[in-house]
Amino acid sequence: MIRIHDLTHIYPATRRQPSRFALSHFDLNVGAGEFCILSGPNGSGKSTLFRILCGLLLPSAGSIIIGGHDLMRVPRMVRRIMGVVFQSPAVDKHLTVSENMTIHAALYGSLEDSVGQRMAEALEWTELKNRLHQRVETLSGGLARQLELAKCLLTRPQILLLDEPTTGLDPASRRNFLDVLKSLQRERGMTVLMTTHIFSEAEEADRVVIMKDGELLACDSPQRLRNRMGREMVVVVPNDPEAMATALTEDLGVQPLRFGDELRLEGVEPQDSLPLLEAVLSRYRPEIRSIAIKQAALEDVFIHMTGGGAKDAEETS
Amino acid sequence: MTILRAIWALARREFIRFIRQPQRVVGSIGQPVLFWLFLGTGFAGSFRPPGMEGVSYLEFFYPGVLLMLLLFASIFSSITVIEDRDQGFLQGVLVAPVPRLAIVFGKVLGGTLIALTQAVLFLMLAPFLGVSLSAGGVALILFVLLLTAFGFTALGFLCAWSLKSTAGFHAIMMVFLMPLWLLSGALFPIQHVPDWLHGVMAANPVTHALVLLRLPFYHTVPQILNDHDFWGALGVVVAWVGVCLGLALVRVERREQGVRNP
Repeated sequence: MIRIHDLTHIYPATRRQPSRFALSHFDLNVGAGEFCILSGPNGSGKSTLFRILCGLLLPSAGSIIIGGHDLMRVPRMVRRIMGVVFQSPAVDKHLTVSENMTIHAALYGSLEDSVGQRMAEALEWTELKNRLHQRVETLSGGLARQLELAKCLLTRPQILLLDEPTTGLDPASRRNFLDVLKSLQRERGMTVLMTTHIFSEAEEADRVVIMKDGELLACDSPQRLRNRMGREMVVVVPNDPEAMATALTEDLGVQPLRFGDELRLEGVEPQDSLPLLEAVLSRYRPEIRSIAIKQAALEDVFIHMTGGGAKDAEETS
Repeated sequence: MTILRAIWALARREFIRFIRQPQRVVGSIGQPVLFWLFLGTGFAGSFRPPGMEGVSYLEFFYPGVLLMLLLFASIFSSITVIEDRDQGFLQGVLVAPVPRLAIVFGKVLGGTLIALTQAVLFLMLAPFLGVSLSAGGVALILFVLLLTAFGFTALGFLCAWSLKSTAGFHAIMMVFLMPLWLLSGALFPIQHVPDWLHGVMAANPVTHALVLLRLPFYHTVPQILNDHDFWGALGVVVAWVGVCLGLALVRVERREQGVRNP
């Protein structure tokens, strides 16, 4: 459904900054009906990719075919079948729910007589049905997000692009938004491409793309990404990570990965993790504040693959 | 047809936002009336330009106030361009399958509608203010107002499109947009100024819009239509509106693009 080939984007130099690579020879295929998550640390190029996909930015080189249409040549054909949910609200808060929906319908050229029926269909799953004449500024954050999504559904898109859509929502509203998105996606067979750096959101995706420095690091199902890690890891929090890392390498012959105050011994087979923990504990008990065995989660895969740059990801998750 | 609906939807939005803010409605009619009354009354005693005996300053200033109304309405709607970008509404419109000229025309038409509403309210006060107009004169005034409002709003749009904050727009407003009105002959007649200022004023398209607006107050419609000055001024104003709209359309189509080589 979305075929990105050899996409490169270089931002032109400005007075303050030299030119810089945001994407380099990026390839990605997203199949029809797939739920694909795009993640990566800040500055990895995912926002640039998103802006190119919605046609706000023209890339330096490369091609993008969406739904069989060339995005660079016939952007309007692509826009017709695509819905976009931005991180910041794209509704007018001085207008009511139904006024915003009507403007959206007019922009997408939906037929006047079918707007009423489509609006009912698009709002069916929301809590906005009885708030049609309420101004958007009076809605809660969660309801305002529902409106953003409902507005896009009005035009029955085949493809939905979402840019960190749950930013600023409380955990319950976030969960609710994702559940709805997932079920709508299945129900209507939409292809969804969503950027996020909240890894609990990625666990349910069909595919997770991890980007770093404008390149594709990994693209796989969440399960297979987790499998890449080996099954378990031992996480040690020592008093002095620097000294402990050296000691572990020299004494036990393992290569710990440092992340903040933590040292991680990754890729441990399940039967080996307990003996490893015991060995570390018996040798260095006084220098250790805590030690644990952890199952690899997507977040750990991300940290493993992107290295130190993943700090932001942990803070926001 | 699709594009007309999109333009209309965007223009309607501007208008709804305007009437939902009562202070804007009150200010938009209150401000010109106050300007007209205070300046008009204040200058009444000392305004005696040669060759214009019998014309009070209140009368002289009336078309100028109409023009000021348009200028302020267009400034307000240009500021909303910056707000739309800042608050996110614009991005939703930019990714919709409508040509970007719909954005220009939606904004310009919306701003023009607001300006015309205000102007009509101000014109309705005319009989009470001792200004008399024929029906044809009113029609001609409305036509000129429509044309000028298009010009002002397109110009404001052009200035506002690439700005990221409204603070920057205030500077442009004070040093560029306001002088267009100040030097249009709205406040003082063009006939008795130094040569250099005369040149500047003659080159200002808004001066010609004011010429068009002033005519119906002193001449009948058939007289105006036979007047070379009318057609000359109309030509200048139409050209100005065309250039502003054209530039706005070109500007809005320009998209950020990556470079080939770093």
